[in-house]
Amino acid sequence: MVVLRAGLCPGLTEEMIQLLRANGIRTVVDFVSSDLEEVAQKCSLSYKALVAVRRVLLAQFSAFPTNGADLYEELKSSTAILPTGSPSLDQLLDSGLYTGEVTELMGAPGSGKTQVCLGIAASVSLGLKQHVLFLDSTGGFTASRLYQILRARAEDGEEQLEALQRIQVVRVFNIYEMLSALQELRDRLSQQVVSSMGPLKIVVIDSVSAVIYPLLGGKHSEGLAIMMQLARELKTLAKEFSLAVVVTNQVTRESSTGPLKPALGRSWSFVPSTRVLLESKEATWEKATTQRVASLAKSSRQPTGIQVELDIGNGDVQELSPATLTQGL
Amino acid sequence: MQREVGSLPLAPALRAKLVAAGFQTAQELLETGPCGLSKELGISKEEALEALQVVRQECPGDVARTAGGSGITRKCTALELLEEEQAQGSIITFCSALDSILGGGVQLTKITEICGAPGVGKTQLCMQLAVDVQIPECFGGVAGEAVFIDTEGSFMVDRVVDIATACVQHCQLIAEAHQEEDHLKALETFSLESILSHIYYFRCRDYIELLAQVYLLPDFLSEHSKVRLVVVDGIAFPFRHDFEDLSLRTRLLNGLAQQLIIIAHDHKSAVGDVVQITKSEGVNHTISHYISWLPRCAASSCHSKCRRY
Repeated sequence: MVVLRAGLCPGLTEEMIQLLRANGIRTVVDFVSSDLEEVAQKCSLSYKALVAVRRVLLAQFSAFPTNGADLYEELKSSTAILPTGSPSLDQLLDSGLYTGEVTELMGAPGSGKTQVCLGIAASVSLGLKQHVLFLDSTGGFTASRLYQILRARAEDGEEQLEALQRIQVVRVFNIYEMLSALQELRDRLSQQVVSSMGPLKIVVIDSVSAVIYPLLGGKHSEGLAIMMQLARELKTLAKEFSLAVVVTNQVTRESSTGPLKPALGRSWSFVPSTRVLLESKEATWEKATTQRVASLAKSSRQPTGIQVELDIGNGDVQELSPATLTQGL
Repeated sequence: MQREVGSLPLAPALRAKLVAAGFQTAQELLETGPCGLSKELGISKEEALEALQVVRQECPGDVARTAGGSGITRKCTALELLEEEQAQGSIITFCSALDSILGGGVQLTKITEICGAPGVGKTQLCMQLAVDVQIPECFGGVAGEAVFIDTEGSFMVDRVVDIATACVQHCQLIAEAHQEEDHLKALETFSLESILSHIYYFRCRDYIELLAQVYLLPDFLSEHSKVRLVVVDGIAFPFRHDFEDLSLRTRLLNGLAQQLIIIAHDHKSAVGDVVQITKSEGVNHTISHYISWLPRCAASSCHSKCRRY
């Protein structure tokens, strides 16, 4: 829906635009889809000039087709698989977090989503020595817990401090701040500014539902529109800059006894390529447990329904018992 | 500066007009200027000017950005956050068992939820915290003020007087035992009158008043910058009755939670909220589900062994 403006391409002058507008052609789409002979007659413009302008506009605004083999080669050279810090979770995700994709962790409150996110940040920063961008929208990011995790994985104090410095935390408490932060990231990456932001491979967003929930529902589709805006931003960031994007989400129930399902509805369910559900093993007040069960709810590579056990307890996110494979129906 | 028009915080009707007119990025809007904008969209010049101001605020120019302008986004590295957290104090509760579970006391910049059956002592604990937050720094406190938002009407001033008197006595005993200069100086200002005058009490009778109070709180807090504790006694109470539209209730609760998180973070204060646990399963289950994802710093303290049925 780009409006025709002078200077959009060589040959498109202001008078041409005025004449076209007078005949109802305002945007590029209108121009390209109209019959040029008719337009030339009505606006008394030269046919050759119009054809030349159309060719330039098409070249400028259309997408380039590419074949599967080239795409595959590109994918092989640009995709990286990032370890999550937990071998059983890596197994669930088919060896780790893939760049160029959005992965979602969902679970009830207290199921361990933030802990797993901290584990991922620690693993990428410490193990791969890559920068991490952590967008925190719930205020749940605790640096002391992150430090605890790092201390359990690395002996050297210097390494721990360096790892902490590579993790940048941005606190965004509403959707516009989040979009603004993502835009800033995009600007920085596209200009390749060599600053404190070194090689960035992963963006962790905890949580996406906290900023979108207050907008959804009701009569206006405002919330849905902005949610889709966010979805598009995340997916293009992941694809264009080869980033792995990890988001966390809430779960809801249909009724008080129904099964758990991810929040944010059906429109959001198309956004992540992989979804992992985190649950507590036993929910009692007396026994504090750090055991969690992660099951694969959506994946383009693995069969869904696979479950593994995680321990998000003191120290590191580590497996405690061998993974149990249960095939989904 | 390629921020999409759809992602800017403008009014929905205005946004729809912009998209229909073919504007795609913020850059285009700024280039067109207010006169061009008002002509193309058919809106008044004042509206166009306002919209452009919002756009300019959201997308600071490149100069501002490279000059290190990170005023809008709250950015820092994890290392800086760690140093900040370690330097922060916490509000002690005068019950050593509770303090040890909470990791030193009620933490600042976080939200703590206190839930329990009626009569178990939640409001008492909150009143204790409202007094404890005012303990001077030389005695190990954070020397702050408190905001108490009451929805159930359970705040008893005479009980607060008892708690405050006991606290002052306790500090006096410490001062006598240690005989230090700053202890005695602090005690001059730490008295019953000063404690009571630094607890700001708001009574909200229904959910609308509660929402309004919480949304107006940032302005209040910027005037009273010494506030270090905000207590909401009975956060679920106004939402429990007479709510037919459940999705509206979810939306309101979520918005409320985000607002409290912003307050806790920006004003470096602790937010405590109290949730009643009752025996009626259906309503309570849903309410506590929505409330309980306010991040807890440690455990939410449940004084009774009451289970959720």
